[in-house]
Amino acid sequence: MSAAAAAPYRRTPLAPFAAAVTGVGLVTSAGTGTAAAWHGVTEGLAPSAAPRPELDGLPCDFFYSVTDCDPGAVLGVATQRLMDRFAQLAVIAAREAVADAGLDPAVWDSGRVGVVIGSAHGGLSFYDEQAAALAARGPRRVSPKLAPLSVVNGAASSVSLDLGVHGPSQAVSTACSSGTVAIGTAHQMLRSGACDIVITGGAESTCTRLLIASACSLKAVSTRREDPAAACRPFDTHRDGFVVGEGAGLLVLEHPDHARARGATVRAHVNGYGASSDAHSAVAPDPEGLGIERALRTALADAGLSPDDVGHVNAHGTSTLSNDLIEATMLRRVLGDSPLVTSTKAMTGHTLGAAGGIETALTVLALQHQLVPPTVNLDAPDPQIPIEVVAKEARAASFDCAVKTSLGFGGHNAALVLTRP
Amino acid sequence: MSTSEEISTLLVTKFGTDPEAIRPDVPLHRLRLDSLALEELRLHIEDRLDVDLEDVALTSRDTVGRLVEAVQGKVTA
Repeated sequence: MSAAAAAPYRRTPLAPFAAAVTGVGLVTSAGTGTAAAWHGVTEGLAPSAAPRPELDGLPCDFFYSVTDCDPGAVLGVATQRLMDRFAQLAVIAAREAVADAGLDPAVWDSGRVGVVIGSAHGGLSFYDEQAAALAARGPRRVSPKLAPLSVVNGAASSVSLDLGVHGPSQAVSTACSSGTVAIGTAHQMLRSGACDIVITGGAESTCTRLLIASACSLKAVSTRREDPAAACRPFDTHRDGFVVGEGAGLLVLEHPDHARARGATVRAHVNGYGASSDAHSAVAPDPEGLGIERALRTALADAGLSPDDVGHVNAHGTSTLSNDLIEATMLRRVLGDSPLVTSTKAMTGHTLGAAGGIETALTVLALQHQLVPPTVNLDAPDPQIPIEVVAKEARAASFDCAVKTSLGFGGHNAALVLTRP
Repeated sequence: MSTSEEISTLLVTKFGTDPEAIRPDVPLHRLRLDSLALEELRLHIEDRLDVDLEDVALTSRDTVGRLVEAVQGKVTA
């Protein structure tokens, strides 16, 4: 038998798939509820950044907190007691997103509904509290709830319990890109036919002495204690690290046929997703930004769109020296200088695993309102940053396509491409 | 405050139990106290009343009255 030359393998690209965003839910330090959060972010309102007693004495003793939402009052004691705070924020955001989508969990086909929620640390607050109880009072004072409350899937399971979801529910944990990877995973689940509806995004609440002390040791967080509300300043010459925040940002992502059949209002579409790994460092991004470039180009190809189509980018923009320069240089290389870029972390803080969820939700709203939120503390743009960052005030613009980028410790990169319906 | 009142207060404040539903003949599972909640309640009672309930065997099928009785036995021991 003669050996015919094997044809080189060619992957058959999937047809572009536009998942419909039919609902949004937000709990952030810029405001709780989509309307309040959008108002806070677009008006550049200062977040609540008062020093926290549990961080007393640390080089960074502040944290961007959610202050206009009392989970106990919203959820009730019986529900709240079975959740760490990050899961409580997720449930509150999920209820808003589902209501916004016009869905009724009492009548939906619950086996066709899924949940995918990203978180970097899960129930770290409860874990930290119980570790302190163990040290101070011994093993018999440790709560039996440690395992169910501290696991990273606590937000996903709590949302499925609260809303009666019987389809697949899962957590995604890729550090600070978790929320973006969760939405990308949900996009794939809808495309594959596994679900008709997926509630997806990210949730995080990690104001613990343990975590912030470690971030201080890493020299990753801002120490601008004299002006904490202005400490997070992405792309600014005087940026000195990120500020940890808490929150949840969830979408109702829906198969377009399902959304159409029930006459749902579509806020935006998620058209493409790309992810990559740097294989470079446990904490530092690839110095050339090659990993996040791969994720972005993959997302654009997945969407069947080109760099020229992109009018707005909600960047990862953490306010660290290296991230902002590497990311901005990559954005210029891939997208040119025309997209209007922002980092909303200046108002929300860096919510770690929730960031991708919150920022994708804000990207949906930017597309819908044709308004780019400002990078509010950008007083002295870094001359090395080669992109157009919307500073200080929101800017009205006309754009049909936007991008969300995220990078996570461990080299987890992700990008989403969204469009107007 | 009696042991019964102490336990009722814990059920209402820590578990969101309807105070009207707390009656001696009601099984604990009717108050949505599963095995996890029962162990959590054990810790709260121990802290509140300074008793050791380690060797008290209770399940969700036991009633509120049986719980109160078991705790009272430790309080007076």
